[in-house]
Amino acid sequence: MSPRRTFGAVAVLALCCALVVPAVAFGLEAPTSGELVNEPKRFDGVRIEFEGEAIGEVMHRGADAWLHLNDDAYMLKNVEEGAPLGGFNSGMPVWVPGELADRIEVFGDYKHQGDVVRIEGVFNAACAEHGGDMDIHADSLEVLAQGRDALDPIRPWKGVTAVVLAVMAGVLWYADRRTRLRELRGLLRR
Amino acid sequence: MILRPRREDHLVIGKYTGKVIVGVGLLMVVPLLTSVLFAEWDTVVDFVISMSACFIFGFGAQYLCRTDKDLAWSHGLVVASGSWIWATILGALPHWLSSHEGSYLDAMFDVMSGYTTTGLYLLQDLDHISNGLNMWRHLLTYAGGQGIVVIALTFLFKGTSGAYKVYVGEGKDERLLPNVVNTARAIWLVSLAYLAVGTLALFGVALWLGQEPVRAFLHAAWVFMGAWSTGGFAPQSFNTMWYHSFAYEIVTIVIMIAGSFNFALHWAVWTGRRSEIVRNLETVSFAITLTLTTMLATFWLARAGVYPDAMALGRKVFYQLASGHTTTGFSTIFSKAFVTQWGTIGLLAVTLAMGIGASACSTAGGIKGIRVGVIFKSLIGDVRKAIAPESAVVRQHYHHIRTQWLDDGLVKTALTITVLYLVMYLVSGLLGVLYGYEFTAALFEGVSAGSNTGLSCGVTDPSMPAVMKLSYIVFMWLGRLEFMSVFALLGYGISIVRGR
Repeated sequence: MSPRRTFGAVAVLALCCALVVPAVAFGLEAPTSGELVNEPKRFDGVRIEFEGEAIGEVMHRGADAWLHLNDDAYMLKNVEEGAPLGGFNSGMPVWVPGELADRIEVFGDYKHQGDVVRIEGVFNAACAEHGGDMDIHADSLEVLAQGRDALDPIRPWKGVTAVVLAVMAGVLWYADRRTRLRELRGLLRR
Repeated sequence: MILRPRREDHLVIGKYTGKVIVGVGLLMVVPLLTSVLFAEWDTVVDFVISMSACFIFGFGAQYLCRTDKDLAWSHGLVVASGSWIWATILGALPHWLSSHEGSYLDAMFDVMSGYTTTGLYLLQDLDHISNGLNMWRHLLTYAGGQGIVVIALTFLFKGTSGAYKVYVGEGKDERLLPNVVNTARAIWLVSLAYLAVGTLALFGVALWLGQEPVRAFLHAAWVFMGAWSTGGFAPQSFNTMWYHSFAYEIVTIVIMIAGSFNFALHWAVWTGRRSEIVRNLETVSFAITLTLTTMLATFWLARAGVYPDAMALGRKVFYQLASGHTTTGFSTIFSKAFVTQWGTIGLLAVTLAMGIGASACSTAGGIKGIRVGVIFKSLIGDVRKAIAPESAVVRQHYHHIRTQWLDDGLVKTALTITVLYLVMYLVSGLLGVLYGYEFTAALFEGVSAGSNTGLSCGVTDPSMPAVMKLSYIVFMWLGRLEFMSVFALLGYGISIVRGR
């Protein structure tokens, strides 16, 4: 195994440990977003721990802010970087004090793999403060892994295909136009 | 006796199908430029490949199918329905090349869902896709809402006599103006004016909600396209729950209800006849059925105590019901919450609203308010006839743009299409049951696909059986084109094989 791969494997292992160990040690329930949506009554009003990739953006509303954390198959590596497809995105909205939200530097999108964070807070199956939304009101936030740029280089076969097809399309457009012009000239002569 | 189509018939169909596909290729210029602007080079290449494929097909078909013959009615129907198939196959290329789709069938599912303004999707890791691909998803649904044939009519068709036949084939039969190309342009004028106003309104709200300007603008444009076209695609996997805002919900509700109205109604209002909104049978029917289904769901969810107060209850119920009834598919709850929180009656109320749908000749799907209104009026007429003296002549009328008499032919047509929709809904539900889903969930999802709504209770998933994916593609197509064009295409296929 190359040193780069070994480093990568160790980093992923360390992150997995960081995600799992605290929940076991301190006894807080750490359900996934899927479990929360499937069993909202069971977790309603319960203090939980939740980890996921911060995606999109932070939306500040006064002293607090909205975050969205995805705990799906793409939270450590996205499709552009070669992660295998693992179903739909899945996550939870989190209402958090603004200063905690500002600890997040990178949010996941096409060009970025977002920071992976752990929050602790109370799960609401239908939040009275937020119009019945399903959310977590968090009072602690810890960045477990820094986000990074996600590269999506052009595959060579795509580049070659694009050139070949574009030339073919151009030739057909020219042929179609020439035939049409010839027909038009014939009509005018008549 | 079935007549076998002649060479000239194939040529005219090929020529006009080619024109529509060139239109699809030209549409890809917008996402291509979006990707260039955001330096998403891999996506740029995806769109160059996809555009070139469309142009090869389109120019190739026009080159090979040279004819001066104009379109007949049957040609128009076949061109409309056939174009949708080719547009789906070729339009799926950017999705598939993005690596976010499990298979080409999944990519086609998403594209048919976009064109038909359904909003169900199988694309995976939506939260990491490029701005170019997100633009393409929303543009598909915006263009599909006006009708992809309308696009071609607007920009590519020179003659008008044959154009009307293709226009009708796409499920639109209202002429806002005497000339069909001008009608197509009027539809675009209305849509583009709303695009500007709606995007601006959502952009303002989004800035206030804390989105940074570029994201706020892109989200505003995309959410507008999803709402106006009653498509329901949204830029994030959380759909419109992403914004956590009552103001954003209000603006989207206004846009999706406006989008679900008949283009003829919009035109009437634009040209000064504002009273049409309250007199039109479609809007009256829509208001009544939306109120009834909302009351049903509210009663059930209040009883179940799902939401903490009346405000939250009203906000959640009205949003999902308005979204379902306008066949938009926006949602401020998780898909699975329809099952885990809303329960059987909640699911059925939304299913009913989606099944009825909104206005004919709009971007919406479903049975349509006017058919429900006509059938109800006819029933009232029959009751009046039964209790009136034998010598009495009882006639019913209704108001749709102008006051019209309700004749048997109209009622028969409304009933035929309604029965076809109901059969399709039932088949979609039974198909889901055959594959192991609960009937209410399977019916909800099948009606959502067939009525081009796009709300999901979790059945639609990349791991769904391929037969169900394929069936939903057909249901979306049938529902959007209202059966007849598709039947004409089938008839065309049969006549090639069995005709003399």
